Amino acid sequence: MTDLREARMSRAQFFRMMGGLAAAAAATAACSTKPQTTTAQGQPAATELKFVGVADQKAPMDELIAAYKQAKPGVSLTTTFAPPDQVQTSVRTQLGAGNAPDLHVVYPGNGSAMSMSQIAKAGLLADLSDQAWTQTIPSGFKPAFQQEGKTYLYSAGSSVIGAVYNTKAFQKAGIDAPPTTWTEFLAVCDKLKKAGITPIALGAQTPWVTQLITYALVPSTVYAKDPTFDDKQLAGQTSFAQSGWRQAMEMYLELQKRGFFNDNPNGTTFEQQISMVATGKAGMAIQVSAVLPDFRKAATSPADLSMFPVPGADSADQVWIPAGVVVGLGASAKGKNLAEAKAFIDFLGKQESINRWAKAISAIPLTQDSGSTIDPAVQSFLPFTKDRAVPFMDQRWPNAEVQPVHFAVIQELLAGKSKIDDALKKMDEAYAK
Amino acid sequence: MTANIARGSLPSTARKPWGRFSSLSPSWFFALPALLVYAAVVLYPSLAGMVYAFTDWSGLGEDKSFVGLANLTAMFHDEQAMGSIGNTLLLTVTIVAVQNGVGLLLALGVHVKLRSRAVLRVVFFAPVVVSPVMVAFLWKYIYNPDPSAGLNGVLGTHIDWLGDPSLALWSIAGTVVWQYAGYSMVIFLAGLEGIPPELHEAAMIDGAGTWQRFRYVTWPLLAPSLTINLMLSTIGGLKLFDQVFAATNGGPGYATETLSTVLYKQAFVFGKFGYSTAIALVLALFVAAVSMIQLYYLRNREVAQ
Repeated sequence: MTDLREARMSRAQFFRMMGGLAAAAAATAACSTKPQTTTAQGQPAATELKFVGVADQKAPMDELIAAYKQAKPGVSLTTTFAPPDQVQTSVRTQLGAGNAPDLHVVYPGNGSAMSMSQIAKAGLLADLSDQAWTQTIPSGFKPAFQQEGKTYLYSAGSSVIGAVYNTKAFQKAGIDAPPTTWTEFLAVCDKLKKAGITPIALGAQTPWVTQLITYALVPSTVYAKDPTFDDKQLAGQTSFAQSGWRQAMEMYLELQKRGFFNDNPNGTTFEQQISMVATGKAGMAIQVSAVLPDFRKAATSPADLSMFPVPGADSADQVWIPAGVVVGLGASAKGKNLAEAKAFIDFLGKQESINRWAKAISAIPLTQDSGSTIDPAVQSFLPFTKDRAVPFMDQRWPNAEVQPVHFAVIQELLAGKSKIDDALKKMDEAYAK
Repeated sequence: MTANIARGSLPSTARKPWGRFSSLSPSWFFALPALLVYAAVVLYPSLAGMVYAFTDWSGLGEDKSFVGLANLTAMFHDEQAMGSIGNTLLLTVTIVAVQNGVGLLLALGVHVKLRSRAVLRVVFFAPVVVSPVMVAFLWKYIYNPDPSAGLNGVLGTHIDWLGDPSLALWSIAGTVVWQYAGYSMVIFLAGLEGIPPELHEAAMIDGAGTWQRFRYVTWPLLAPSLTINLMLSTIGGLKLFDQVFAATNGGPGYATETLSTVLYKQAFVFGKFGYSTAIALVLALFVAAVSMIQLYYLRNREVAQ
């Protein structure tokens, strides 16, 4: 027996070993990138499109992909869904590395790292402007879909922010009709509290939930007075601190001071918030209509849940509401199957698809025909959508930092660790970055 | 002999003189493929990535320009990044102390000849094999602020574990200790198993009590296990991310922000990959420096036995 440590390896042996290793590596690489060209039946197949989206998109996408399969059997779509944070991490990395999925989630307007403006600016979103549906985008929504006149985003419609309320709990507290002014709103909360029901469930531990109450109030305290506020703020003529944002935050904290929130909102999650309202432990939650299906799923009788606009002003005609384009999708400009990806978006742009998508998430369809349905819960918002609605505030913010700062300062305010002045100053600083 | 046992659990080849390898003996050929792969998948990407710390890259597209040391100076003026360093250090010190303390007690506990000790070892080690993110989600339920639910229900308290900014950091440290105390336990246990029973017998004959035997026999011979445990928990604490991200995402406000969550947010939420890489670079250098200093002192302590 030769001692292993004494054994000499000849150069040839060494190179053979290395060669084997290299061949093995190459073979592995080839296997993993080899496109699938045949199906199990041996038929010529199938362009395979990849889509990565957020969890809210699963219901409508599953439904519409099934429909697309019927219309176009040659194209199959594989989908991945995850919560927004995770999707943002993975898709942005893929975009940066140049291997983005053919279709992926895109947030409307600007103001987040996965928003239409930010990605389109880097030249990574395909221009959809030649598709017929893009011609019918209502003009008020264009900033959410378009960058320099070109459309980069598909979205099925808009959702609103308002109070999701438990009608049974309201009846129990002796409330006959939803409030239409701020004073009435406070009175309603008071009645709920006296009836032993938490007036407003707030799940502020989940960061994005923190913003919804300010978003619900700011249309009335800022935009009702000055509809061009965004443009002025961009031009540096006004700021959060100098505007009705201050009033909105004071109203937010007034609700807390009066004991209208559940105990420890900073330790309460979105899921706990849902369950509190669905079970009638709490009267309402200020939420975006897109999550209404989640509330209904958690309730024993889904019909008990409805919505009303949060009145942020003391005269009913000064009440404005937030109505934003719902999270959508775009096609990767550098995708290998760009034509097929765009064809799928064109299919989503058909009125029937818009109707189906909007119905699945209780949204107001982007364009409407006789087949469009509007969830009865959001009917009370329709009178506002024409000229008393503003897009969600972040969609016009110039960078992705303002929104997380907004989350953080609200948590600090709720914890009593900060003052409104500091909060607005931090937001103004983030806006100026 | 004592020193040999104590040193036994750590490979000591790194201390051998380099001269032995200068003649390119076959052992180099054996290491070469591994070194090549290591260089290709670890060294090169890390060094190439470092370059981004000196740019303003947004993470999208090719558009970037060199900004010199601007990212590093920005970091030292960034309230959030500086605050997160304080949080990271607090968390690390707490976790290192408590996790290893608890781990040592558990190890001593399950080292004695109990009938149930095999079961107990598995029970204490079980949390380690669960993904840290899942543990954090689990603890979010346990930390429910509702007085009738979770930990509050058991203790009869009304504490907002994760929602109170002055408490949240400690609550997170609690989950980390809960999860990894079993890990420290296993390493200490391996050290305990390696202590020859004769030494204890000899000490007992000399009239040493339980505490004296621990102090003069067990504790010195556990030095290598302690070195490993302190280093691993320190590194784990300094780069803590998953638990914080899943439990509080740095909140409420900025109360539980660590260096890792800040650099994650700078890259993936704000789209500032250049700045984020600069923070990562500082973190990496800091972890390396702390580990080296720690290793130097702890190894000296071992040799001194």
